[in-house]
Amino acid sequence: MPVKILLIVLSVVGSVSAIAAEDFSGVWILSGPGTESEILLTEEGARIQSEYDLLVDDPSLYCTPASASRVWANPNALIKIEQTPSTLFISYELFDLRREIPFGDQSALSSQPSTRNLSGSYFPEMGSSFAYLEGEHLIIESGNHGPGFIRTSRGIPQSESTLTREELSLEDGVLKIVHTYEDPELFEKPLVLEYFFKRSDELDVALYECTDANYDWFNELNAEKSEAK
Amino acid sequence: MGKLLTALLLIGLPLWAVAHHSTNANFTQEIISVDGVIERVRFQNPHASVLVKSTDEDGNETFWLIESGARTTLERQGVSLDILKIGSKVKATGRKGRREFTMYLQEIMFEDGTVFVPQPDLN
Repeated sequence: MPVKILLIVLSVVGSVSAIAAEDFSGVWILSGPGTESEILLTEEGARIQSEYDLLVDDPSLYCTPASASRVWANPNALIKIEQTPSTLFISYELFDLRREIPFGDQSALSSQPSTRNLSGSYFPEMGSSFAYLEGEHLIIESGNHGPGFIRTSRGIPQSESTLTREELSLEDGVLKIVHTYEDPELFEKPLVLEYFFKRSDELDVALYECTDANYDWFNELNAEKSEAK
Repeated sequence: MGKLLTALLLIGLPLWAVAHHSTNANFTQEIISVDGVIERVRFQNPHASVLVKSTDEDGNETFWLIESGARTTLERQGVSLDILKIGSKVKATGRKGRREFTMYLQEIMFEDGTVFVPQPDLN
């Protein structure tokens, strides 16, 4: 008898948690400029920033994601979220990135990045991630990053030591994501970014097929003209 | 408060949303114009672009890269670059790039005076 009662209780609790869990699935598009906390770089962070040249060092020039927040925050590029009981799939239209994140804990972190493109190239700039639900919020934690840039326009860096937390929540149909970057080697205090997304009418992301993102081909054209003079 | 936020997001930000966020980093606010001939049209990601060959009074030729939004962005806005034909004489106007001989396209005027404005919300 007590076993039956226990099963009933567990069943009810399970049903309630299933109802309470937000469904983040769908296709989303950035809908606002977001916010940014004060950025206090350490000496090392400032050194990396001072050496950064946007016109040469921006990873986007090589169809490479600079960081997770940079990919989320790309205007006009769709993002598709799919949830299964075991895995969170995020498809970013930008650079045809596909992120596969297991639900679990830190033991899920590995040396293999969670993000690859459709050609099969993996990107350590996006880190290795795991996800879990915290109340109605969906949390993604990441580590084992490769060096990258949280802000490509200003060269705000990330390093192998950077730990990130992405907290997704829904409010009146608006998806809010809070990125928290912690890295004592680069930041005097955590860097926090917020972005907002609205649902798109489209059912899937488009094929991006990033091509000749750098300017080498163009620079060569004018260089040939100069040499010909 | 939540509803207000939603309303602001849905009503107030479409104009902002069409701008690639690195546009300001890669292009100045200075408006320039270049006369030349269309050599190449590239409708692709991450940037659609038009290559224009400009020839000065001394006969010196310079290639200008006139950039626009991503192909996927333009397609969602219903914008096509089909009107831009190789060999057409044009005057391209836009924001001067931080890279030499680059510009973010605002409008292209053809010889007959017609004007093509791919992203009027950005001008």
